[in-house]
Amino acid sequence: MITARGLTRRFGDLVAVDSLDLHIDKGEVFGFLGPNGAGKTTTVRMLSSLIAPTSGSASIGGTPLGRDNRSIRQRVGVLTETPGLYKRLSAWDNLMFFARLYGINDAEKQAEKYLKMFELWDRRNGLAGSFSKGMRQKLALARALLHEPEILFLDEPTAGLDPEAAKTVRDLIESLKSEERTIFLCTHNLDEADRLCDRIALFKTKLLTVGDPQSLKEKMYGRRTVVHLANPRSGIEDALNLPFITKTEWVNGRLLVSLSDPETENPTLVRRLVELGADVQFVNELRISLEDLYLDLMEGNHESA
Amino acid sequence: MNRLKILLVKEWRESMRNKMVLFGVILLPVFLVGTSIFMITAAQDGDPIEQIILFNTALMYFLLLPTIIPLAIAVYSIVGEKEQTTLEPLLATPISDTELFLGKAMASVIPALIVNWASFGVFLLLIRVLVGDVPLQLLTAPWLASIFGLSPLLALFSVGVTMIVSSRASDARAAYQFSSFAILPGLVPLIIYSTQKTLVDMRLIALEALLLIIVDVGVLYFAIKLFRREQILTRWK
Ligand SMILES: Nc1ncnc2c1ncn2[C@@H]1O[C@H](COP(=O)(O)OP(=O)(O)O)[C@@H](O)[C@H]1O
Ligand SMILES: [Mg+2]
Repeated sequence: MITARGLTRRFGDLVAVDSLDLHIDKGEVFGFLGPNGAGKTTTVRMLSSLIAPTSGSASIGGTPLGRDNRSIRQRVGVLTETPGLYKRLSAWDNLMFFARLYGINDAEKQAEKYLKMFELWDRRNGLAGSFSKGMRQKLALARALLHEPEILFLDEPTAGLDPEAAKTVRDLIESLKSEERTIFLCTHNLDEADRLCDRIALFKTKLLTVGDPQSLKEKMYGRRTVVHLANPRSGIEDALNLPFITKTEWVNGRLLVSLSDPETENPTLVRRLVELGADVQFVNELRISLEDLYLDLMEGNHESA
Repeated sequence: MNRLKILLVKEWRESMRNKMVLFGVILLPVFLVGTSIFMITAAQDGDPIEQIILFNTALMYFLLLPTIIPLAIAVYSIVGEKEQTTLEPLLATPISDTELFLGKAMASVIPALIVNWASFGVFLLLIRVLVGDVPLQLLTAPWLASIFGLSPLLALFSVGVTMIVSSRASDARAAYQFSSFAILPGLVPLIIYSTQKTLVDMRLIALEALLLIIVDVGVLYFAIKLFRREQILTRWK
């Protein structure tokens, strides 16, 4: 659905996006994760044919960027970084204006559908300027969906919302997942990406890594088992002498064992520990939050990843 | 409905709800027509020269309105989009750069000309009713040519300048201040006419029209260049 090759955008001397290569399938929810200034908005603007890349190419739903941008714009929906609503117009008039620009036949029906879905129907005649932040964001999301775009770009949809409003918006996005709709979600919220996305790209000017949330974590750290012992004793790790163990280390009196297949290897590991006289209290899988991974990558600790 | 028309309807709907715009579009013409009528009726039985001057001054207002009204509308129609950050979602639709530019320009020029000419009509009507037809004899062909022929050119100049300034200005007040020099070409005929009193001839007006056309082409050329998607999203402040 979305393919980018060497997509690059400069602003004067500053390189905002540096040779981005991407391939996103139809129906996929793709998380684009990066800190402020990473170039997320610039990427969205290029992919939605709002600004031209300095070099490189991309194709959106099979249409190369720059060939027929009007038809690309007709087929993508963009939730911009700020909701961008006409304060002096009602929610209804805001939606109708955009619905007509997109040339939607049943504009009224579409507006009604999304206003109801987003629980704004009762407030349709209220001025957008009088809406709370959360309501504005929902209205902006409704606007992005009116013309039933195949591809939806969401630029930090929950940034600046209070936790409750953020949750509402996140739930709405989750409900938008469908076979037919490809979603490109920019965020710097890791939980959001973890929860909503099929695949996640970590991005800071350059693409750092791409993968599904789980395999990203594994790719970075392998899988590890944490063993709590009642009688931690150093030296025991060397005595284990099991071929599948790639690495062991002690952290806060707990033994961290790196291995590749904990489901089959953990029972052997525990049996061996007991044989060696260890009093095993707990055995857990070490969960690496996406946050750890992200911070590590951003600090450049994993150049190769 | 084509996109241009959709945009125009939106512009006017928004303008109607903006006090600052309404002030420029409705209150100002009412005020200018009102005071002129008041002065002329008050001087009705006085010095004929004074009457002529008052009448000519009133006519000059109809060369000023076509520059002031588009300014009021255009400032808010562009700075308003910037302040509300609506340009990006707007540009994300299939609207073309030309449609956006024309929509913004026409949204200002059309009401300006309608209001100007309507005020002029109301002014003439009131003079006729309240004063009789004496001063109407002063309404010479050059005056009529100015009010009907120069107004559109003056309005275009004003809207072009305002669009350029507004794309650069960070708020409406600043845009207003910097755009106000767009009124100058409207003042030029005013100055010439007032020094020559009634001796305004068609040659002078043709010359001014020609100059205005040249200036308009230049100003609109720059404005159109600024109103490209890429420019709006990456260069506008
Ligand atoms: N119009 C512009 N002119 C100059 N620099 C820009 C412009 N837009 C973005 N940038 C720069 O490009 C970089 C990426 O910005 P952006 O895409 O907005 O990042 P993000 O959305 O990830 O926060 C930043 O350093 C920003 O300052
Ligand atoms: Mg951004």
